Amino acid sequence: MYAYTDFDRQFVRARAAQFRDQLERNLAGTLTEDEFRPLRLQNGWYVQRHAPMLRIAVPYGALSSRQLRALGQIARQFDRGYGHFTTRQNLQFNWIPLTQAADVMDALAAVDMHGIQTSGNCIRNTTSDAFAGVAPDEIVDPRPYAELLRQWSTLHPEFAFLPRKFKIAVSGALEDRAAIAWHDIGLQLLKNAAGEVGFKVLVGGGMGRTPVIGQVINEFLPWQQILVYVEAIVRVYNRYGRRDNLYKARIKILVKAEGQQFFDAVNAEFKQILEQDAAGREHLLPDAELERVAAGFKLPASVQEGLASDIFEGVADGAYKRWLTRNVHAHRLNGYRAVTLSLKHPGLPPGDLTDVQMEAAADLAERFSAAELRVTHSQNLVLPWVREADLPALFEVAKANGFATPNIGLLTDMIACPGGDFCALANARSIPVAQAITERFEDLDELYDLGDIDLHISGCINSCGHHHSGHIGILGVDKDGKEWYQISLGGSDGKVLSGSPVAGRVIGPSFAADEVPDVIESVVDSYRSQRLSGERFIDTVRRIGIEPFKAPANAVRTLTGQAAAQ
Amino acid sequence: MSSKPMKFIAIHDPHWHHVVGEDGPMPHPDPAPNLLLSLEQWHAVREHWPVGLRTGIELPNDFDIALLAADLPRLHLVVLQFPKWVDGRAYSQARLLRSRYRFGGEVRARGEVLVDMLPLLARTGFDAVQLRADQSQPAAERALSFFPAHYQGDVAATQPVFARS
Repeated sequence: MYAYTDFDRQFVRARAAQFRDQLERNLAGTLTEDEFRPLRLQNGWYVQRHAPMLRIAVPYGALSSRQLRALGQIARQFDRGYGHFTTRQNLQFNWIPLTQAADVMDALAAVDMHGIQTSGNCIRNTTSDAFAGVAPDEIVDPRPYAELLRQWSTLHPEFAFLPRKFKIAVSGALEDRAAIAWHDIGLQLLKNAAGEVGFKVLVGGGMGRTPVIGQVINEFLPWQQILVYVEAIVRVYNRYGRRDNLYKARIKILVKAEGQQFFDAVNAEFKQILEQDAAGREHLLPDAELERVAAGFKLPASVQEGLASDIFEGVADGAYKRWLTRNVHAHRLNGYRAVTLSLKHPGLPPGDLTDVQMEAAADLAERFSAAELRVTHSQNLVLPWVREADLPALFEVAKANGFATPNIGLLTDMIACPGGDFCALANARSIPVAQAITERFEDLDELYDLGDIDLHISGCINSCGHHHSGHIGILGVDKDGKEWYQISLGGSDGKVLSGSPVAGRVIGPSFAADEVPDVIESVVDSYRSQRLSGERFIDTVRRIGIEPFKAPANAVRTLTGQAAAQ
Repeated sequence: MSSKPMKFIAIHDPHWHHVVGEDGPMPHPDPAPNLLLSLEQWHAVREHWPVGLRTGIELPNDFDIALLAADLPRLHLVVLQFPKWVDGRAYSQARLLRSRYRFGGEVRARGEVLVDMLPLLARTGFDAVQLRADQSQPAAERALSFFPAHYQGDVAATQPVFARS
């Protein structure tokens, strides 16, 4: 992992001190609530339904055992003993009183953590592939570049008050596991014919009310120029992005409206920075800086490539085999595997874990994975450095701590936002819907028969639960103060299995909450009856379209549902 | 952090004068020193405006600084606007004024200018502020003191941390 320098450490402490000063002025009444709001947001503090919510940055999803243990301690001491991992690889707490906010920021700074730019209309935490550095299909390790972008974007003085939030994702593998096309800027690391490293740059993707897939603005940008190029994009956005309408303020709207003119403006700005600006070339990255940062991502000292083995050899059908099949992933090093700790199990909302589990996961990482974990886009944890020989022992401990649900990639490995139970923005609750579906599909044989399905649930159109990109998407909507759910099919985040990124299509009028599990069952029943041999859910939806799913789904409407549909 | 100390200027600055008649801004102001002109006024007079007269201009935050590039050597003060403090366009304007067009006069922030904006203002090239009336200057000065340095280069410290040694 990237090791904080004295500079980094001093910087997060300075940020904590600055936040304490702001909080104290707010509590003393000299900084009004309205004017404190954008400041606390840029430190990760929302005010939610019950209490403030704190979103802690986990840069590109990399977390150490020491950090996770400290998060467990914060959960116990300041919160109600649990936290929630998000699709953007961050961690959220829900019950910390604002009066203790500055103390929590100090506790985070002590383990090189913070909430900088996890909210607000600024450049957010950069996300990446949870399997970065260990995936067999990796072209270039994205972590050093993600770290360089983190540093460049942290407290950038020009871009703290953009028209709207701004998200950057980086992938360095053949398969896009970071949903880059759904981001304001998506970066795909490549090597050209000469073996030089560069980025394919996408711009203007985003979810929300208007789902848009990012467009390629540059096919190959030499890596040295990335900070300057991103600066050019964000400056054009800062100057010309709409500020008159919250719903039209994301860069995707500007890119759509201006088309080629936007691309031309960015490329002209890029050229001007390099050719005209005083110190305009200072942010071209030198080899030495990449090497300095990349040194943090060398193989952990305890990891030594071994011999490949057949992990299934002699394994009988049963729980362990299932776990090997679903939760254990290929690794670029012989003798190693990456292992997902499932945070999708009955009894806890998707992505949640308790303080005890945080400590247990920290212990697991320490014992089996060089004290390192990753937070995944689909709200699980990954142990990236597990020896094949350790898999049986890891399975037993993971099982004992509730991490071994063998459901990774299956219907119950769903993405869900916290929804109306916690979030002040939500129109409807996500957690009870997720729980009802989890209970309905508890039978593992059935789950395995259904195979790979991405189910994504958002409690409102802000799309934190990425409903647009789910093979099955569920969106909470509010009608006359009641909770309703819109179901869509055929979305893709862009990974190989899901196909080119695209938003799902809605299958009809919204359903009542208690109808949702029946609708999902109807949808998978339609799939089962229509699928060709071996055909996955998403491929069936692609082949036959959404029409054949509509009538059976409508048939499960109860009286309330029928009334609403009219 | 900033190469120059920030100047705090009263809301009613006695040194610079708007040219306003009974019906609002005068369309064709007569030459005089220390006038703070609107963009429209400047456009109306720039052709015959005397050389060397201390002149300031006030720009809206959606104005493209490039369009003023040729006139900048004749100007001593550029006032940039924050109609709402969370509207960050003027930060880019200031940065371009300094870094791209090498403007050496005063760049002043006016409008909804709050204490916690000071670090951003100082780093993007502002060297003077007119704080909103209810804001505390000591708090604003304290706001400038938290960070000894930053990651990325800016107008005040042009090199990113990786290029400094």
